[in-house]
Amino acid sequence: MDALRELVFGLQQAGYLPEMFRYGFLTNALVASLIVGPLLGALGPLVVVKRLAFFSEAVGHGALTGVALGILLGEPATQPLAALFAFCVVFAVLLHWIKSRTQIPYDALVGVFLAFAIALGASLLLYVAKKVNVHILENVLFGSILTVKDQDLLVMFILALVCIVLMAFSGNRALISSLVPDLAKVRGIKVRFYDYVFVLLIALITVASVKIIGSILVGALLLVPAASARMISRTGREFFWISILFATLSCLLGIILPMAGALPIPSGAAIVLVASSGFVISLIIRRWRSLV
Amino acid sequence: MGPAIELKDASLTLNGVELLPKINAYFNPGQLHAITGANGSGKSSLIKIILGLAAHQGQVERHWQGADQSAQAQQIAYVPQQTAFEASLPISVKEFLLASLTRRPFFAWQKKADLNQVHALLQRVGMQDKGHLRLGELSGGERQRLLFAQALERNALFWCLDEPMTGLDQQAQELINKEIMGLREQGATLLVIHHDPDWVAQYADQVWCVDNGLYIQGDQP
Repeated sequence: MDALRELVFGLQQAGYLPEMFRYGFLTNALVASLIVGPLLGALGPLVVVKRLAFFSEAVGHGALTGVALGILLGEPATQPLAALFAFCVVFAVLLHWIKSRTQIPYDALVGVFLAFAIALGASLLLYVAKKVNVHILENVLFGSILTVKDQDLLVMFILALVCIVLMAFSGNRALISSLVPDLAKVRGIKVRFYDYVFVLLIALITVASVKIIGSILVGALLLVPAASARMISRTGREFFWISILFATLSCLLGIILPMAGALPIPSGAAIVLVASSGFVISLIIRRWRSLV
Repeated sequence: MGPAIELKDASLTLNGVELLPKINAYFNPGQLHAITGANGSGKSSLIKIILGLAAHQGQVERHWQGADQSAQAQQIAYVPQQTAFEASLPISVKEFLLASLTRRPFFAWQKKADLNQVHALLQRVGMQDKGHLRLGELSGGERQRLLFAQALERNALFWCLDEPMTGLDQQAQELINKEIMGLREQGATLLVIHHDPDWVAQYADQVWCVDNGLYIQGDQP
């Protein structure tokens, strides 16, 4: 990463890039966007097909509690990765496990978990707020481009590799399992196994994205680009690639625009605002197509 | 030849409610077995027990013939009764079949040979011009034909069909019927839930009736 940062700095000094690129943290944030954006965009369509949008939102809120727990347990306040990963994974797997063993409607169950995560997070934050700078908590809630470190990029990169391999080898099985589960079981597809793998992936990617998008808004980036792509796609392939395009552009523009305009907007908020603009554009395209 | 299916005291209870009482039955291999009965009598549940889709009590055994039993055990085809797909979901008929028959991810470029195979399957069920439609745009009969097409791809010798003719027009019924007869000639074991007594009388080798138990037609107490 040092070499890349130096290259970008050199290009800026030579006048090829605007002033803002002299800051190394911007390069880090943009690299993070180029990893996290496509990842969230790729998973989004399956989140929509499996109707797990609300679930990803709940896991994001769980991240808030994970951070508070980590700080309480003595992890560094800016990097409580172990507690964050552990809590979100347990949260997601437990939720899914209860879902598979009860007949409680899924939205109600996710609602209960979401409320629990927020309540627990809020309670723990009261203690944590005395120990750390309140801006650190703001960063966890809404993301910050200042906080992305090389270690975070490495975690994101490894997760991206895992995700690409899984999507390439089991994307079709996950699709059939989502559309006609009984059929998938008869074809020998381990539907429950894939469900857990998928839930685990969402949890891990949510956690990996918290730094840049924030725990409150990370679920939105799984959902909004996919929902936008869904409106203007006719095939699954279009759905997948347009979702990736929207999510990646949202991340890049959400970081560059506030910097370019010197606007004090958290990166997560800016990213989701750009993604929401994409949703409006999709609505207009869809409407225009229906009129033509 | 397809397998024989043997049920030994198989029953299904869900949340304390008995959906199917204890059943003992033997489905001969290589025959077409029609399963009839009133709505809610448990026909679909019976199929799900046999396919291992419902947690049940008792035993269900599939007796495959021939040397390569493990490979044969993979040769199972199921045509479920399909409720509607979500209307606005952008997954096309072609993509659904491709996802069923290849491991190449649905979002990647597809091989010509796979696309040709999909076209051939759609042709067999009279849907060769519907490949571009979204799943949600299909009528009930078209959904049923699509599910039949995905099952055909398996070259299976054991088939479970849950009301395969529901919603089909005359022409489509003839196409599907031709395929079912072809499967029977190949020696497949077919369990077909069907409500039409004329079809059952004409084509079934054995007729079973689900009515608080499972009986060969005419043997009900």
